[in-house]
Amino acid sequence: MARIDDTLAPTGAWLQGPRFASVLRACGRQLIAWSPVIVLLIAWEAVARSGLVTPFMLPTFTGVLERIATDTASGDLPVALGMTMWRALAGFFISAVAGIALGVAMARSRAFNWFFDPIISIGFPVPKIAFLPIIVLWLGFFDLSKITIIVFNSIFPVVTATVVGVRGVEKELIWSARNFGTSERALTWDVLLPAALPQIFTGLQVTLPIALIVGILTEMAMGGYGIGASMQTASRFADSLGVFAGIVEIAVVGYVLVKLMSLLRARLLVWHPEALEPTTA
Amino acid sequence: MAVNGAQIVIDRLSHMYRPPHGKPVLAVDDVSLAVGEREFLALLGPSGCGKSTLLYLLGGFLPTETGSITVDGKPITGPGPDRGIVFQHFALFPWKTVRANVMYGLKRAGLPRDEQEKRAQAFIDLVGLHGFEESYPSQLSGGMKQRTAIARTLAIDPEILLMDEPFGALDAQTRSLMQTELLSIWERSPKTVIFVTHDVQEAVYLARRIAVMSARPGRIKAIIETNFDRRDPHLFKSKPFVDKVDEIWDLVRAEAIKAQGTRST
Repeated sequence: MARIDDTLAPTGAWLQGPRFASVLRACGRQLIAWSPVIVLLIAWEAVARSGLVTPFMLPTFTGVLERIATDTASGDLPVALGMTMWRALAGFFISAVAGIALGVAMARSRAFNWFFDPIISIGFPVPKIAFLPIIVLWLGFFDLSKITIIVFNSIFPVVTATVVGVRGVEKELIWSARNFGTSERALTWDVLLPAALPQIFTGLQVTLPIALIVGILTEMAMGGYGIGASMQTASRFADSLGVFAGIVEIAVVGYVLVKLMSLLRARLLVWHPEALEPTTA
Repeated sequence: MAVNGAQIVIDRLSHMYRPPHGKPVLAVDDVSLAVGEREFLALLGPSGCGKSTLLYLLGGFLPTETGSITVDGKPITGPGPDRGIVFQHFALFPWKTVRANVMYGLKRAGLPRDEQEKRAQAFIDLVGLHGFEESYPSQLSGGMKQRTAIARTLAIDPEILLMDEPFGALDAQTRSLMQTELLSIWERSPKTVIFVTHDVQEAVYLARRIAVMSARPGRIKAIIETNFDRRDPHLFKSKPFVDKVDEIWDLVRAEAIKAQGTRST
């Protein structure tokens, strides 16, 4: 109760309270953490207004923000964002489920490993986006072909992270479970996946931006609704404000997704020694 | 060497350890041993002598290839909750709390949830971890981790307790406390215990019978009976105890030197 009284106190006592001080400190920390980005944006604005470059080459940051606001109000941005996110996230989830399943199978079965290991080794460094023309011929221009390309690109980090993670599970941990009568099948859920989760999650954190990037590339190459497609259209009409708006939108969306993943990681891995260490940023 | 009334009978057991890269090594060589019900036996030997391998064979974690091991007349075909194991590095599930770790074996045994909780609590209390039920292993000291592991294994009430240098990773004070506690737990509910160690004093203090193993390939070099009043606070300084430790040390020392020799080649 005392806390509520504090915040309602009209005398300004709250402003000197310890809570206010800690809020101020937190704001200060955030400001310091974000200052490089703020400096960059100010530099952008300054260069764009200085007359060194034409507005066509580099529109102002404030102009870009205005454009994002009008696109949001008109409904164009929500639709584009929705389509991009749907395909990127669908591709990401398919990659996650299939990649973890394949990774566990490869780590536990010689036959699976024999068959898939060389395929994964060759496939990982190949630029899968190069298959785009063929995929278009096979699957058409729409979501199916885009999501397929996303999965092709983003499944590899998940598979390799899962293989390394599951192979690294201590023998004694597995024996411990077997000692309590755990079957081979139950072992996967009871021991292998939770024990390998730190590595598997790292693989997922690597792959989520890949899914987003590849999703935007497919839109740029194939059209359809989406942020990448809007940027491509804007570029075609020499609408540089539209192109820069797309870049800012992708940066924000990417940042939010990456941040959400690290929050989820902290949630899921409370047991891990990493959770006891101070976090960065 | 079939012994009437023995619970565990190991008969002419040999085991080849095959590393993924490198030559196969004979880890256990023609070992025969009988262990009676509720006996406390120590397997003592220099590091790398195959005593842990012998324990893993008993646990069913490694396949028996040459010779045989039977428990109550039945050959071992794999791991099972009748033989609970405690590892040197605890092997706790780090993503589970102390309570969930202790409950795991009970869940696998198919006990109803409330029964699991009651039984887990009883064993957490037994090992003195009351108040730490919701802690994760990463938040515990080495001694507390090993207490959790012991509670987890005791909770499933195995007939046989296999212990692989369980106090080897603990500091000297914690180790000595844990030894006393293990004895008091064992006296309250006697089980067959096979306790692997390279610490002579620990073996003499805990076990009723000590199987001294030779350097690799591991053979049983001698079997020595011990019987001391473990409650005597001056036991470690008493003449018979010190003499016994010295006598066994002489046996082990020769093997330890041999083990050093084979290691450096």
